[in-house]
Amino acid sequence: METTHRLEWTLLATPLMMFLLVCLGFPAIVNLIYSVSDISFETLRSPEISGFGNFAAVLTDSGFWRANWFSLRFGLLTAILECLIGLGLAVFLAPLFKDRSWPIAILMLPLMVAPALMGLMYRLVLHEFAGPVPHYLWAWFGNSPAFLGPNSAFWTLIVVETLQWTPFAFLLFHMAYQAIPEELREAASIDGATGLARFWRIELPLMLPTLAAALLIRFIDGFRVFDNVYVLAGSGAGGSTTSLSIYIYEAFFKQAAIGKAVAASVILFAASFAVLYGLNRLARRRRR
Amino acid sequence: MLNAIRWAVFALAAFAMNFPLIVTLVTSFKSAREISTNPGLWINAPTLENYATVLTVSDRLNIFLYLANSFAVAAMGTLLAVALALPAAYAIVRGRFGEKTLLPLIVNLRAVPLVIFAIPIYMMFQFMGLLDTRFGLGLVMTIVNIPLVLIILVNAISDVPFELDEAAMIDGVSRTGILFKIVGPVCRPALVTSMIFGFITAWNEFLFGLMLTTSKAVPVTVGASFFFAASGGGVQWGVAAAVMMVGALPPMLLGLLMYRKISGTMMAGAVKG
Repeated sequence: METTHRLEWTLLATPLMMFLLVCLGFPAIVNLIYSVSDISFETLRSPEISGFGNFAAVLTDSGFWRANWFSLRFGLLTAILECLIGLGLAVFLAPLFKDRSWPIAILMLPLMVAPALMGLMYRLVLHEFAGPVPHYLWAWFGNSPAFLGPNSAFWTLIVVETLQWTPFAFLLFHMAYQAIPEELREAASIDGATGLARFWRIELPLMLPTLAAALLIRFIDGFRVFDNVYVLAGSGAGGSTTSLSIYIYEAFFKQAAIGKAVAASVILFAASFAVLYGLNRLARRRRR
Repeated sequence: MLNAIRWAVFALAAFAMNFPLIVTLVTSFKSAREISTNPGLWINAPTLENYATVLTVSDRLNIFLYLANSFAVAAMGTLLAVALALPAAYAIVRGRFGEKTLLPLIVNLRAVPLVIFAIPIYMMFQFMGLLDTRFGLGLVMTIVNIPLVLIILVNAISDVPFELDEAAMIDGVSRTGILFKIVGPVCRPALVTSMIFGFITAWNEFLFGLMLTTSKAVPVTVGASFFFAASGGGVQWGVAAAVMMVGALPPMLLGLLMYRKISGTMMAGAVKG
């Protein structure tokens, strides 16, 4: 009885497992083999195992470390900014959303736009002749910075990413805030807690799990950023805006350095696996 | 008084976040001459000529093809993901199949940068002749969508009372029968939500569209940039703005239609992820 059930369940899950095995498992193995092979576009089907030369090439490439550093800073900064602003908006504006939801629809509109299109839109917004931002800066202050120049491109990209994804953090905090029981707030008010004290002592602690989740999700998305950075700044002056995703893409498509690109992929794969494994263990231990 | 400040803050935040959309919308209704003399947020002489240009098919540019590609790829990536994930979610919830292995593995997939699979997938597609095909890109969108779709469906099936299953089993309905005749229909709201979510995600995808397509299967996120150099020379900003509006509109409309559900889904995804 038990075994026939087991078979039934396995059969139901089989299509999904097969699909993932073919579409992700196989590529993962190809990645591993190619990363230790001497590989070029001519020898794609007959890779020759050659040791760890590709990894050495990647790990000694200053461009790889610069891309790591860019992704790390970009992920951290945008995650923190988005969560701070999102949390502030969700809490401060909460009374506005009590019996109307259209303001939320307006705030979440940017989330529906493809990041690639959003990046292209900023090319228009920041364009020195056609863009309104330089236009008004010239009109009002008589000066406008080169937003995508080597010195300011990083911060321009930070602002672009933050403005598009703050709504995501805002939505999570909004849901978490609404989920706090009204009695808790009333009890705190009766005990004489003012708005600010209520926030620090009661509301924020209750929203901490959401804050952790939002920070993590936004960090991961920021770390692996590709679309908006690529269309807006490319790899930037001297590679100053090369994220790790752009590094891998360019190593493969622009330099045809397949071995290097694959080795970088494997390193990124191992790193994200290690981080996720650690986080899962942490979460499981906390749940006990 | 405090409420007035709140409205002001809201207006400022909404304006800042939606600023590129506003600028693009405004610019799309300006003639080339007006853009060069008046790049501000005001339109003196609104015109539809940019949209007319975008919607004109030439041998180099075909907006209808890009839109059709995006639609086909997003539809396939959504429907296939749901078709694969629904039975698996049922087995995970009711049969506790792979609850400790398969489920966490797939959920964590959401946090893995998919660019690491890009190169082998490119080679695989080259080998199988799937480069620059809607089918190939649709397969990739399925991969992209599976984690969140699975989370949504697992949550939804967990909420279906087990008594429903039991009653059907006593009547001699098979597992598959229960899934399709009882659990599936009860989960219809979750199925719709996951499809809308998947559709928006796939429509907005860029990296794989850029890598795996060149002409026949180009999605609109990639095709939009073709219009930036439409006539040689400099960028025609009015035309570029119009094509961006056209490409961004479908997911925005879907999102506005469904925004109440979307925030709940994001929460579910965040808590599990």
